[in-house]
Amino acid sequence: MMTQYEAVIGLEIHVQLNSPTKMFCDCPNAPGHHPNAHTCPICLWMPGAVPQFSQTVLEHAVTVCLALNAEIQEFSRFDQKVYYYPDLPKGFQLSQHHHPLSRHGWVDILDEAGKPKRLRLHHIHMEEDVAKLVHETEGHTKISLVDFNRAGAPLVEIVTEPDIRTPFEAMEFLRCLRAQIRYSGAAECSMENGTMRCDANISLRRAGTDEMNTKVEVKNMNSVRAVGNAIAYEMTRQAELLEQGKPIVLHTRLWDPDKNITTPMRGKFSGPCVPDPGVPPIELTQDWIAGMKTRLPEMPEQKRERFVRQYGIKDDEAVLISAEIETAEYFEDLVRQGATPRTGVQWITARLLPVLKERNQAMAQCRITPRRLAELLALTEREEISQNAAREVFAFMLDSDQSAAELIEKHGLKQIGDTQALESMVEDIMAAHPDAVADFRNGKNQALSFLIGQIMRSSQGKANPKVIKELLAEKMK
Amino acid sequence: MMEGPFVFRNTQPPPVNAAGVLAGCKICIQPNLSVRGWVTDACSHALKGFIAMEDATVIERLQKSGASIVGSCRMSELGFGIKGDASAQALAEGCDAVLVTDAFGESRILAAQNGLFGFKPSHGICSRRGLIGLIPSMESLAVLTRSADTIASILDVICGADPEDFSMPQDEVMPSFNNPPSSEVATIGIIQEALEMLNETEAAAFNEALREIERQGAEIRKISLPSFKLRRQVHQVVGAVEASSSAGKYDGVRYGYRAPGTSNWNEMYLKTRAECFGTLLKSYLFQGAYFQFKDYEAFVDASRIRHRLVEETRVAFESVDVLALPTRRAGKSAEDAQSVQDLYNAFEMTLFANVVGVPAVSLPGFLQCESQDLGLQLLSPRLKDADLLQYAASILNIQKGTR
Repeated sequence: MMTQYEAVIGLEIHVQLNSPTKMFCDCPNAPGHHPNAHTCPICLWMPGAVPQFSQTVLEHAVTVCLALNAEIQEFSRFDQKVYYYPDLPKGFQLSQHHHPLSRHGWVDILDEAGKPKRLRLHHIHMEEDVAKLVHETEGHTKISLVDFNRAGAPLVEIVTEPDIRTPFEAMEFLRCLRAQIRYSGAAECSMENGTMRCDANISLRRAGTDEMNTKVEVKNMNSVRAVGNAIAYEMTRQAELLEQGKPIVLHTRLWDPDKNITTPMRGKFSGPCVPDPGVPPIELTQDWIAGMKTRLPEMPEQKRERFVRQYGIKDDEAVLISAEIETAEYFEDLVRQGATPRTGVQWITARLLPVLKERNQAMAQCRITPRRLAELLALTEREEISQNAAREVFAFMLDSDQSAAELIEKHGLKQIGDTQALESMVEDIMAAHPDAVADFRNGKNQALSFLIGQIMRSSQGKANPKVIKELLAEKMK
Repeated sequence: MMEGPFVFRNTQPPPVNAAGVLAGCKICIQPNLSVRGWVTDACSHALKGFIAMEDATVIERLQKSGASIVGSCRMSELGFGIKGDASAQALAEGCDAVLVTDAFGESRILAAQNGLFGFKPSHGICSRRGLIGLIPSMESLAVLTRSADTIASILDVICGADPEDFSMPQDEVMPSFNNPPSSEVATIGIIQEALEMLNETEAAAFNEALREIERQGAEIRKISLPSFKLRRQVHQVVGAVEASSSAGKYDGVRYGYRAPGTSNWNEMYLKTRAECFGTLLKSYLFQGAYFQFKDYEAFVDASRIRHRLVEETRVAFESVDVLALPTRRAGKSAEDAQSVQDLYNAFEMTLFANVVGVPAVSLPGFLQCESQDLGLQLLSPRLKDADLLQYAASILNIQKGTR
């Protein structure tokens, strides 16, 4: 049923900037230890308080825009998004509706087929966050409390063009967008911590047409995967409605992560937006914008090129290593600690990243720091343990703070490199398998592998296979 | 309820800076200007019992310069129009000046009604930090005095860049009242479109006053401001929208009046807001909400016309030094306003300066019309506030010389 329809998907992503202060006052832009700890007359919007727009917030916002290839506007301005709700202490939210900070921009992804696809942005604007409502009961009475710690926190809202066609593309878009922004250093972008929030607008059309049909907005997805699941669910739901000849109604739905369904919430909000007379327009010169561009940190593309040049790793390895800033920084740290770049890349891509993904962990949460991994790799390099043993030690290190050396000792994984000990093992095995020895001497080379395997087994993998091979070849000559 | 004009009297004024330029000057404010610890309710139920947490920038500056802030006097609800003559009474009781919020022309109308001087500075040259305003883009803190001499020294203290009020223009040269230019009025502009509004007796009084000034050597020049006729609509649409936004924060959640006996917050909002505003202000807020939610295009139009009017005014000031207008029409009182339209009728001659943001002063004694002083209103280009005061002084000399 789905195949005759094509989805038209646009995303709206709120990203909380990591500037030290809120947007219009000097209160810390951080979760408070207590409700309403980070408040002042301005972010409580007390009568007489005037907003003081932060230059640092502006710089963070511009950095995010530049990291997403957006065109900074020389003129932008705050508008009042008017609605009445207890989480909004002044009856309007300051947002840039008519004149956003930047327009256009794009994020490049690889689609399902592995082909590069450029997804365009419509614009990026600045916006203040609202307060948080806490619903409790006092005795038998339901009460609602307002926590203003988050009120006035600096956000940018990234609005895409409706270029996205599949849940996969939406998820890839979010991953790449997050990587780009994290690279810029201007925001954390964690959907789990709420510093990145994503709403999706979804409509269907018959495949091959360019109709624009009524869309449905879906909110409340708290992970990239949830965005994909919610879109997939919504596509199926709408396709079923269309099949039954029922109309699609413009409204907002909530994603329920437990039941994996969306449920209707309300009609889509569209309040008025009038220019705010209290916050002066933001006027930027091309010189200033150019200066901000030069301050942008090294982005994935540049890092990839440098890694190939500086460390002599392959281009596709560099792509993997530079995709996320945490991975890139881990890699460079690992090399600084003495690991050879090629070995480092292989361990990160083949061992570390899959484990993090499986455990749903961030790089920072992983117990294997670059220093610890470098130690393990050094031991492997010196052939004190075998490759197989190193993998075992790696697994132990994930859940232990003991050093690689200690873990090797503890689990008896040290490689036997002592020629005398190995020589007697070789002699024992040759004695136990005279047929194989005869086969080898008759030109059957597989017999050598068999004998090596027997020794590895009897030594529980601790024998150095290279030395054994040499010894066997020598003795069976 | 306290008797007299005051809603709050500062019985224990802090020691003043005796060496300050305003030492000995007694200033009364309105309760929409924050003084730490004072009830700052803007005479609105919505702010019932609200105590300011900080001093407004203007208050800090006045106190630093030696002025004593003697108290605050009654005002209209949230400064919407004029109610009573508490500010004139405060002056009669010995205050040297009252700081009045001028969004429609309140300071100038009060001046004309009571034989006083009312000066509204250029928009944006006086800090708004600590001011509980209603129509940010139209209103300025204005000075109401008995004598023209006091105005300059007060403006010199309260005007000027405030690093904490980001809404003030950052790159403009602020007028200096300390070293004012010695300006004599050379050319007075008369707005054709304003003249056409006056009835016979009003026009006669106005022309009489102009002839007086002309005899002393000033040139009177008629100019046309085609968009002048739309100033009222511009003010009403923009003003109502801004007022609706400004009053949006009065929800009964954190301070002020909260309606009792409601069962959820939506009810609480509705009932609180229904009960905390007066009928006249409420209809204005309704109008603003209407333009916000239902007819944003009207707001866009009004903003565009406002821009045009600013531009026409700028061009007009290339050929004249000041513009002259009566401050008010005969027999139209802000006090009696029963509707938003009545209110706009009462302020129809003063709104213009608020819409285009230029300084304006109302002088008493020039425009007698049927035993009413209409007030002579003079306007100068934006930021030429000090020049305007000088022009006003030279015209006042004419008055003294001929009487």
